[in-house]
Amino acid sequence: MATVVGALRQTRLAVSGQVGTWIFYGIGIAAFALLILPRIFQNPAFFLQTLIFGLTDGALYALIALGYTMVYGIIELINFAHGDVFTLGGFIGIALFGLIGITPGHTGSFGLLLVPIVLGVLIASMALTGLVNVTIERVAYRPLRHQPRLAPLITAVGMSFILEGAMFIWKGPNYVQSPSLLPTYQLTILGAQVDTRELFVIATAAVLMIALSSFVEFTKLGKAMRATAQDRDAALLMGIDIDRTISTTFLIGAALAAAGGMMFGFYLNNIRFDSGFNNGLAAFTAAVFGGIGNIQGAALGALIIGLVRAFNDGYGQATWSDVIIFGILIFTLTFRPTGLLGLRVPEK
Amino acid sequence: MSQHRALKGSGIVAIATLFAFACGGSSGGGGGTTATKGTITIGVEMPLSGTEGSQGQPILKGVRYAVTQAGGSINGFTLKVQDFDDAVNGTHDPQKGAQNVTSMIGDPSILGFVGPLNSSVAKAEIPIAADAHLAMISPANTNPCLTKAKEALTNADCAGLAAQLRKGNPNPYFRTVTTDDYQGPALADYFLKTLKITKVGVGSDNQTYGKGIADSFQTEFKGAGGTVVGQRFDYDQQNTQDFKPWLTAEKAAGAEAIYVGGVTSTGVCKVRAQMQGIFDVTTPFGDGDGIVQDSECVKAAGTMSPNTYATIAAVDPLHVPSAKAVIDGYKKANPAPTDYTAYSIVAADSAGILVQAIGRAINDANGKMPTREQVRAEVAKTKNYQGALGSTTFDSNGDTNVKIISIYVYTSTDPKAANDEPWKAAVNYGTTPPTVSTS
Repeated sequence: MATVVGALRQTRLAVSGQVGTWIFYGIGIAAFALLILPRIFQNPAFFLQTLIFGLTDGALYALIALGYTMVYGIIELINFAHGDVFTLGGFIGIALFGLIGITPGHTGSFGLLLVPIVLGVLIASMALTGLVNVTIERVAYRPLRHQPRLAPLITAVGMSFILEGAMFIWKGPNYVQSPSLLPTYQLTILGAQVDTRELFVIATAAVLMIALSSFVEFTKLGKAMRATAQDRDAALLMGIDIDRTISTTFLIGAALAAAGGMMFGFYLNNIRFDSGFNNGLAAFTAAVFGGIGNIQGAALGALIIGLVRAFNDGYGQATWSDVIIFGILIFTLTFRPTGLLGLRVPEK
Repeated sequence: MSQHRALKGSGIVAIATLFAFACGGSSGGGGGTTATKGTITIGVEMPLSGTEGSQGQPILKGVRYAVTQAGGSINGFTLKVQDFDDAVNGTHDPQKGAQNVTSMIGDPSILGFVGPLNSSVAKAEIPIAADAHLAMISPANTNPCLTKAKEALTNADCAGLAAQLRKGNPNPYFRTVTTDDYQGPALADYFLKTLKITKVGVGSDNQTYGKGIADSFQTEFKGAGGTVVGQRFDYDQQNTQDFKPWLTAEKAAGAEAIYVGGVTSTGVCKVRAQMQGIFDVTTPFGDGDGIVQDSECVKAAGTMSPNTYATIAAVDPLHVPSAKAVIDGYKKANPAPTDYTAYSIVAADSAGILVQAIGRAINDANGKMPTREQVRAEVAKTKNYQGALGSTTFDSNGDTNVKIISIYVYTSTDPKAANDEPWKAAVNYGTTPPTVSTS
């Protein structure tokens, strides 16, 4: 009897899942067609501009979201401190530029040498932030790895407050202006005024994301990460160094977030000790939206959230942006509880 | 255990009390020439740390300066200034403000205070001060809802608030600046008539002050023949980081200037910074006193700082001949460039009004320590007080009779120059029709 009920329930789930997904995509496409399409023809240049703003914001969210999703994928921890790691990356970048003598008002007389300097600072900030995150994992999460899952969740919230507090003491309560070192030329594409800064942010995020995907896909360490995510005990039995693999995950996640933090500073000029909270929340939402644990999903979710926000800010009422984003999230999760690209995996 | 702790606690209190007495005694003896009849304390309730510390500190210094100028005593009583900080996590906090007022009420020597800086804090404080009949004079609150009766307000959201806050008690709340229903329109008139701008984009940080001032700007701008283009952008300061889509939409709609109601700590100057690449730096940007003469705003706006307009709901001290001596004296006592803002002098006048009222209240009490009600009643009677900024009379709501708005504009990208932000014009709403003067 029980098995029959079980089987029935499963078929119903499968059917409703399929039909639901189609309804879901149908409604999504219809909404886009109804709300945005007519406006494109009214003012194509404005549409293009808004699209690029949305992609830029989405790219920034994606850089953070990847860290959430990787950590969740591997140890099933929602690393609440991750948003603040993003801010920390931005702050470390500003501090390093300050050491070389580059401040918001004064970019120095480095000429073309500025390109390797910016790249160097970017890499240094990514490395330093990565080390901080590895330390956080070592101190706050590793000792609790075999405890109930709620314990590391709370230490993660605690780490978030510690980081915010430390950055508050370091940089104060005000907006900190970041030097804007991306080239700012105005390009005219199809009548739209596009700033090269936006293209640079999108390109940087794309390069980093492709690098990450290839790393996870093609390297031995990446394989170890996937194996650990799939079954930690089996991976251990296969001779994979679990601690090292998890540390690497935190290192990479933080490095991406740090790059995001620096890009955020370059692009939006101002960053504050608590900037990570809002961006982290948006990125976490993106990770859930795309299917937490799934790298491509996080990137997709982030781009969608960035685009929805930009289009709503540009065409609709900005006050409604959050309502709309979370409305879409709830709607999506009702039909696809595992997110856009998430797979239904058995609970470990 | 707990009993032990309690004992220890009371011991500490006892020792502290002893010390307090000892100190009081010695300072009284040291005073020598004038035997004082006691100490009267003036509170200062401001955000003194955090983002708004750059605005609160010059006000505290203005009050201290005024008390020093009064000789540090009044009618035989020693005058003392005690400051209370309402910043929590770097920004003003209404709850903390209310707590501060409660602790002031607990100190019998405090007969009135100067503050607060933010209208939202005042809203939380007025009911508590009203119960205790504690006079408060704000040198900075501009929200009209705090004082004006239902009939005088166009904004239905807050009609009746003033009466509600006072709970039937006599009015404890006074201010030496005028209100947003003049401050918002002033820049609207200036944009339209002097800068000849006909299309603006309007936004706000969606808080009490920001939304109110943006509303009054918008109403005046439309009423005087201008057009508000694009969608109104009342953003959520917690979640909105990227203003570019909205700014681009405004640009596409033909906006020639942007007005955003709000304060530095809620990101108004960040909006200005993000206009880079979409608008020229010559495009005017405006707000009220939330961003005026504020080095933090210039830091946030960066290279886009020039042509950022802001207002103060009071007379510009530098344009009042009688204020020169006070400003010079103040700057001599407080030489750092960040010590002075126009509010320092407004605060000095507010403190002056309070000190004079306390003096009259002492006379009412036949030379003895007056009650808080006596001080409050005397503040309410303030008529033609001659301060650095001219003559002040409080009306029955507690508002000043001076209805002049000063307009300032940032010209430099250097945060250190922010406190000397140049004055551009003044609009006087005391006359009909209002007069704009640019010299």
